[in-house]
Formats: sequence, C-alpha cells, structure tokens
Amino acid sequence: MTALVRVDNVFKVYKRDQFEVPVLNGISMSVGEGDYVALMGPSGSGKSTLLNLIAGIDRPTRGRILVHEKEVSAFTETKLASWRARHVGFIFQLYNLIPVLSAFENVELPLLLTKLSKAQRKKQAETALEVVGLGDRMRHYPRQLSGGQEQRVAIARAIVTDPSIIVADEPTGDLDARNAEETLALLETLNRDFKKTIIMVTHDPKAAARAHRTLHLDKGVLAEQDTEQPVPESLAGTKP
Amino acid sequence: MKFVSIILKNLFRNKIRSLLTVLLMGAIFFFVATLLSILDNFEQASTANEGQNRLGVQSAISLANMLPFSHEAKIQKVEGIVATAKMQWVGAYYKTQKNFFANFAIDHDKMATVWDDYSVPTDQMKAFLSDRQGAIVGPGLAKRYGWKIGDRVPLTGAIFPFNPELNIRGIYKHKVDDSSFFFRMDYFQQSLGDMGEVGMFWAKVTNPAEMARISQQIDDMFKNSEYPTETFTEKEFQKQFISMIGNIKLLFTTVSICAVFMVVLLAAITMSMSARERVTEIAVLKAIGYQKGLILTLMLIEFVMLAAVRGLVGSLGAKIAYRMIDMTAVTQGFLVNFGVSGKTLAVCMVTALIVGLLSGGFPAYRSANLRVVDGLRKVV
Repeated sequence: MTALVRVDNVFKVYKRDQFEVPVLNGISMSVGEGDYVALMGPSGSGKSTLLNLIAGIDRPTRGRILVHEKEVSAFTETKLASWRARHVGFIFQLYNLIPVLSAFENVELPLLLTKLSKAQRKKQAETALEVVGLGDRMRHYPRQLSGGQEQRVAIARAIVTDPSIIVADEPTGDLDARNAEETLALLETLNRDFKKTIIMVTHDPKAAARAHRTLHLDKGVLAEQDTEQPVPESLAGTKP
Repeated sequence: MKFVSIILKNLFRNKIRSLLTVLLMGAIFFFVATLLSILDNFEQASTANEGQNRLGVQSAISLANMLPFSHEAKIQKVEGIVATAKMQWVGAYYKTQKNFFANFAIDHDKMATVWDDYSVPTDQMKAFLSDRQGAIVGPGLAKRYGWKIGDRVPLTGAIFPFNPELNIRGIYKHKVDDSSFFFRMDYFQQSLGDMGEVGMFWAKVTNPAEMARISQQIDDMFKNSEYPTETFTEKEFQKQFISMIGNIKLLFTTVSICAVFMVVLLAAITMSMSARERVTEIAVLKAIGYQKGLILTLMLIEFVMLAAVRGLVGSLGAKIAYRMIDMTAVTQGFLVNFGVSGKTLAVCMVTALIVGLLSGGFPAYRSANLRVVDGLRKVV
C-alpha cells in the first residue's frame, strides 16, 4: 500500500505557564492510501494531538509530517489552510455545524473557497447530502435535525470537496447506539466505495473494530504498532 | 458575493439581542442626530441676516430702557444712512401664555426698505399699509395657528397694558425666519397713549464698509445725553449670538462625543460576546481552510453592517420623526425650520461605520488569529 501519510519521529510539547508538558514522544507511523485507521488510547495519551498534527491544524515541536511526500508540517499558515481546504475533511464529535446555516449551506461552506460556480457548488453539495442520505433535509437547520442527522451533515461537509483524507475525532462519541452504527456504516462506505483514507480517534472498541487497523497510544508513544484487524468479509476484496 | 448569505445570517443570529441593541444604539444615534440638528439650526439662524447692512440702535443702559423718538431724526441725518425705522418687542401672546412667539411693532411704511429681506406680495403689503390694525406674519406661525389672510387675531399683552386686535393682511417669505409677527407702530403707540419712546431703531446703510464709522458716530452723538445708545451691526449682534451658542456648541459636541463613546463601548461588548460565542465555529471555518484574512474581513463586514443598521435606525428615525413633528410648535418658535439635514445624516452614518470598525476590530482580529486547536478545544 502506498503511504499517504508519514509521521516521522514526531514530538509535541505543550507549554502550560512555565511548565512543559510532553504529549507525543517520538511517534513514527504511516497510513496508506485508502486505509482506515483507528487511534485508541486513554485520555491524555495524545491521540487527538496526533490527529491534529496529521490534519494540519497544529504543528509538531519536532519531527515531520508528510502527506503525499510533502512536508505539511513545514508549510506556512496560509499554505497550510489552502492545503487543508483541498485535502482534509473534518468530522467532529459535536458535529460543529453553523447553527444559522441550513444543512445545504453548511455543506456548501468548504466549496465557497473554491472557484466553482454557484450551480457547480449546488450540484456538489446536493450530491454530498444525497450520499449521506439527507437529500430531503437540505433546507433544514441544525436545530431541526437529530444528532445522527447532524453528524451526517458534518460528514457531507467533510467529503464535499473530495478530500484525500478524512479525520474524525470521536465521531460517534455523542450519538446513541443506532445513530453511531449508521455513522460508522457511512464511514465504512466512504472508505470502501469512495476510497477515502480515514483516520479516526475513538474510545469505542466497536467503532475501532470497523477500521482496518488500530493504533494504540499511551503516554505519547505508540503502544502497539499496526494491529491488523480481521477484514470484514464484505471488504475482503477491496482492502489493499 | 458568495459570502453575503453567511454575513446576513450571522448579522441577526441572536434576534432578541440584535433587536435590543439596535433599539438602544439607535436611540443614542437619534439623540446625537437631534443635538447636531439643533446646532445646525442655531448656526443657520445666526447667519440668516448676514449682509443685510442694518445697524441696530438700542439703549446703552439696558435693553429694557427705551429711547426717545427724537433720536430717529438725528440718526437719519448721519451720512451713509438711507432709512431708519422704529421697532418694539411687544411680547404679547395668543389666547394663552403657552402660545408665545416673537411679535414686534414696526414702522409699517419702512418695512419694504429697512427689512427688505422679508418679501411680501405687493397686494398684501398694500393691504397692510392701509389697515392700522394690519399685521404681517410668518408662514410657519400662520400654519401653526391656522391663520389665513383676513383673519382677526386678538393678542394679549404681557409687557405692555395693550391687547391688540389685529387683522392678518399678509404672509411674508424669509429664508430662515418663518415665525415672526409684525404689526404697526402707530397702532401700538396710539393704544398706549403715544409714549414717544421705543425700544430700538434700525438703520439701513448704503456702504457696509462704513458701518463701524456710522455706529461710532451715532453713539458719540448721544454719549452725553440722557439716553445714551449702543449701536451694533447685525454681524456683531450675530457674533454675540454665535459666541453664546459657541458654549452650547461645546456642550452639545461634548455630550455627543460621550454618547458616541457609550455606543462604542456597548457595541464592543455585544460584538465581543458575539465573537466569543462563535469561537468553535470560527475554529471549524479555519480548520476547513478559511484563511485568517477572510475570517477578519467577514467579521468586520458583519460588525460594521450591524453598526450601520443601528446608526441608520437612529439618524433616519430622527429625520422621519422631525419631518412629522412640528418642532416650531413644540418649542414655541425656538426651533424654526427644524429638521435633520443630509449632512447630519451623513455624519451619523460615518460615525456609525467608525463605531463598527472600532468596536468590532478587536474581537474580529482576535477571532481571525485564533488557533484552530484552541478554538476546537478538545474536539479535534
């Protein structure tokens, strides 16, 4: 499998007042194109920090993050923002939709940064909402949607620009069992049918079980490397 | 253009708070527009009679002291004076003391020469000259009391034991004054038993360059008499008026600045609250690729638009309100032709935009410079 993301001896230290708090201690790992990786570990183990670094919304104190062999951790802030707009889709635990915008407008947000025409944006946003099964909820506002539906709108927003990587932090953390299952099924579809590379932070072993492999972090180091999951039968033919 | 919908939707995201702040700050802008318009009105009144080449002669002792009629003939002989006229502030009222306005007894036959800035149609002037109880009134005053030509108007004297019964014979036009009431000096004098004294003379001079010399000459002439005079040009009179309103101007300007400062603080509080509430949303926007500059621009446009709405509600509200309210009647003639000018409206709007920039600048800057991970806290 071609390595899409390469984390090369990455350290991250936060400064809290006069104290330095090491969060990641020399992490090295890689994620292949089309891979579906779950990051697990206790609170404070550094899994969200690692996800932030890979997504380009934070920078390592030391080490390199390479995506498509480009060192994104060395990009300027402006270049990094443009890179994120093109290559990364974000899914958050609390969905983080803009409450004053409709489902359609929320999904259209990343497209406003592109040069697409209004008609093209409309078509693309509608397609993304159809993919997540919310074609009939486009004009609804977040307050008019259930938690599961909000998360699906957030997933539509994450995929609308057709990014190569989707990062998800506890995507099922705020959902009930049924909606969590639907969300995980959707992520699985995105990975299997749309070949999206997904990196997901989760505390839920059931959610992690849906990934191709799980990486365990503990105190800023990878405790277990590349724990391969038994590939579900339905995916046997698609896994690289 | 593609971001307009986001800006508009954010503008009134908290409808009750937006409405309340628009009302509150709109009220302050209404107040500021009113103060500025009062100042405008004063300045307009103070410059209204500039260039009329008139000299006023009054008692040097006090305004309440009268001057003998005999002074007029002597004043008239001074070189450079073309006409003189007597004027008396009568201070009468119509029906009740609440209906107070400026009313003067004047030499009716001199109105066309000494007060030639008051234009009266020929037939109306003719009717005024031929009726001892005739009166010429301003259009604002006529409108206020519903008077029309031919009406008989009884006034009650407050200073003199004199209750004139007057016939409206004409309505004058003047570029500023629309609420004065003129009637004949002969009627006034005869009714009071020919006092032979008057409060003031006005002298029309040919050459404005000679006014200082003529003033001096008049005052010198009566310096050692029983009735010394003080002569002033209309400009000097206006200067006194301006220096008086100068203090008012300072006061009004200070109050206006304080009011605007209050708006800045209030706007800064609400805008900071609005920005703080949206920290996570802004972090999400930045995460999905919105650049710092774009966030700053979007937020600043939103804050400036909000301030503009507040300014517009207040100042346009004042303009509409004062168009509907007869301020001359409300202020008993103190504010004539009162309204909010285009200039005042523009000043208020520019102030509102500056308020938006000042109060929204810092919250917008902070939001634009927010670190994504801080904004998202522990979400990602």
